[in-house]
Amino acid sequence: MKKTMAIDTLVLLLAGGVGSRLNILVQDRAKPAVPFAGLYRIIDFSLSNVMNSGLTQVGVLTQYKPLSLMRHLGTGETWDFTGRTRGVKVLPPRTGAKDSDWYKGTADAVRQNLDFISSHPSREILLLSGDHIYQMDYSAMIDAHRQKNADLTIGMMVVDESEIHQFGAGIIDADARIIDWEEKPAVARTNLASMGIYVFNTDYLISLLVENRDEIDFGMHLIPKAIARDNVFAYSFQGYWRDVGTIQAYWEATMDVLDPGSGISPEAWGVRSNSESGAGVADWPPSRFLAGCSVSSSMISAGCVIGGDVRNSVLSPGVVVEAGARINNSIILNECVIEKNAVVDLAIFDKRVRVGRSAVVGSGENRNVPNRMYPKHLYTGITLVGKETSVPAKAVIGRNCIVSPLKNLDEFHGLVLRDGETI
Amino acid sequence: MKLKPKTLAMILAGGRVDELNVLTYYRPKSAVPFGGFARVIDFPLSNLMHSGLDRVAILSQYRSYSLINHIGLGAAWDMVGRHRGISILPPFMGYGNSRWYRGSADAVYQNLDFVRYHEPEEVLILSGDHIYQMDYRKVIEYHREKDADLTIAFLQVPLAEAHRFGVAEIDDEDGATGGRVVGYHEKPAQPASSWASLTIFCFKPKALYRVLEDNANEDASYEFGRDIIPRLIASGGRVYGYKFAGYWGYTRTVDEYWRTSMDLLGPDPVIRLDEWGVRTNLEHRGIRDFQPTIVGRGASVQDSLVYNGCVVKGTVERSILFPGVHVEPGAVIRDSVLFFNNIVEKGAHLNKVVSDVNTVFGADVHAGGPGDVDNSKVTLVGWNNLIPARTVIGTGSIISPQLPADRIPAEIAPGEVVL
Repeated sequence: MKKTMAIDTLVLLLAGGVGSRLNILVQDRAKPAVPFAGLYRIIDFSLSNVMNSGLTQVGVLTQYKPLSLMRHLGTGETWDFTGRTRGVKVLPPRTGAKDSDWYKGTADAVRQNLDFISSHPSREILLLSGDHIYQMDYSAMIDAHRQKNADLTIGMMVVDESEIHQFGAGIIDADARIIDWEEKPAVARTNLASMGIYVFNTDYLISLLVENRDEIDFGMHLIPKAIARDNVFAYSFQGYWRDVGTIQAYWEATMDVLDPGSGISPEAWGVRSNSESGAGVADWPPSRFLAGCSVSSSMISAGCVIGGDVRNSVLSPGVVVEAGARINNSIILNECVIEKNAVVDLAIFDKRVRVGRSAVVGSGENRNVPNRMYPKHLYTGITLVGKETSVPAKAVIGRNCIVSPLKNLDEFHGLVLRDGETI
Repeated sequence: MKLKPKTLAMILAGGRVDELNVLTYYRPKSAVPFGGFARVIDFPLSNLMHSGLDRVAILSQYRSYSLINHIGLGAAWDMVGRHRGISILPPFMGYGNSRWYRGSADAVYQNLDFVRYHEPEEVLILSGDHIYQMDYRKVIEYHREKDADLTIAFLQVPLAEAHRFGVAEIDDEDGATGGRVVGYHEKPAQPASSWASLTIFCFKPKALYRVLEDNANEDASYEFGRDIIPRLIASGGRVYGYKFAGYWGYTRTVDEYWRTSMDLLGPDPVIRLDEWGVRTNLEHRGIRDFQPTIVGRGASVQDSLVYNGCVVKGTVERSILFPGVHVEPGAVIRDSVLFFNNIVEKGAHLNKVVSDVNTVFGADVHAGGPGDVDNSKVTLVGWNNLIPARTVIGTGSIISPQLPADRIPAEIAPGEVVL
């Protein structure tokens, strides 16, 4: 009996992206590690899909601020990746005889890990991004890939033509063969968008990677070349899928979790998270709903203490909402404290924010003054407050504002921050 | 440098406790759910973890499976490692010695080879049945300081209730810290003191071995309270009492279970799960697979404890919801404790109900009360029941686990037991 068992499909998960449009949420964590829907991080969705598809060997390629991601992955036991033929490995850039460099692009990152690929013999490689919120059975996609005898199969979905400029766009024939491809086209010729999910025959991927070391990006270089030359098919996906790469998309997807008709349900999808990492849920008891509180249309994680009003909001573990405080349309990450009579409206708080008594975050009715420093990040009225920030009592913070992490603002007594301003 | 642990902790978790009725048909008392997410045994286990005592054995006899399942590897309490671990010790067959545990002392006696193997400096024996927070290191320190053969933790209780416990007369050798135990009586009809035993025993191993051998050879009953402590005192052993002054929650009867659960509620609850750092095994019953609780539009949750995984669309007051409980619109739950995955359908009213896991209350079911909450009886429902719509369940009645729906009458009289 062979001591090293070849597996069918090796998973490579690209988790190195900066995701800079998430602004202060990615100031000290990679995008896949951004918390989502109370108990989860974005990468939990991909990792849980991998687990629920019965795949057992994963390499996670990291580069940008990987610490919270690595802590979150842990041994991988959350996603059942511990065992004789199972495992999850973190693959950071490294120095070596030849490849001593940062990852210059997605394809370059995989190329620098060809040794990992060859030490885990496989028939196919499933290449994923750790950035998206969706549920998908990859094993069905792998079956389709085999049936078509494809070299490469790309997961694709129909999007609105107005959005196609954000994606790789493919044109397919009646057999689902991709016959033309444009990366982020200015003018839409199709509504079929790539989800960044690829099944490669392993040998084919290796041959593609070794051809030309200057080809560093899948979407820009390798995918168009493969489509022009080899057997590339589309696998169509239907269902809820979101790239939560912008503040607006992140907020909308979070609010979707509150809406039973939206099609997203982490629990029904079988999404698991590491309950021990960081401010994991394992150290929190049940939430206490105090007499006089009012909670409506909201998601409440364990460990919260709620004495005030919470509406249309998502609370991560350990959030304290004191009596008289009001939270509306907001996303509040772990261990924030909203003191008595404070008001929070249309805001995203990173971990351990404290809002002093009677302060207002998200004040006024004018949501149309975009943030002056980041007009493309904040333009719909959402205000961001960074990790461990203290908003002083009675402060008034407007719409589309950014209050940066780790600023102790107690000295700014009576602070007023106008719409669109940043501290 | 700490390598091998000096203290071996043993938790007595074998008992059923008849008074808990349907809650212990399928699990030992120590595995009864408590506190909206945990089990009773999680309290001593978390205390052990926070006390830095991580070599633990659990003596288990009655329906061990629920407990074995709950403990898992012991990782939830940080008890996996080179010198850390939880061993479950069920009764076993052996050469010339194959019998059930005949009592708490016999359970330890039958496992003395396990105890000796670990070469402990102290053996800390605990009951797995109580709700409390304690730093056991203080008991152990006092035990060492007194060079005692046995140190027992005691709590002052009202004299009128002392007859339910092991009661000691303690001299005031060390004031509020403790003193020598000069007399001990198990459940005395006329208690001479109000110091009640908490079933926390710290033994010097040699004294433990000797007294257990003597008990096994000479007595016909094998209980720590009734036999071992009096024997040790009578033989001149150094037995000390450690005086504990914190919260102590009993769950020995259904009424006590309910009252202790209510201590989790209010603006300033006396049971502080957060400060106590109580942890449970989130893999057990798939607690980890639940998303955060959803509180819907029109719901009202007041003075209640709710863990992840619930969906609340109705009204919940002064109640405790374990993961997976669904409360549909128009349902009203008051003064109740609902274990994992209970479903309360539209318009159902529950008053002072304790309901075991997986039970469904059909639409417009009325169970318990209304009435004086403090003095009315708990209505108790066993697990895996489907209570048909519009059933009326009288106050204080008991419904056995997993009854076929046709065995549940449309109207259950107050105090009736449905088998």
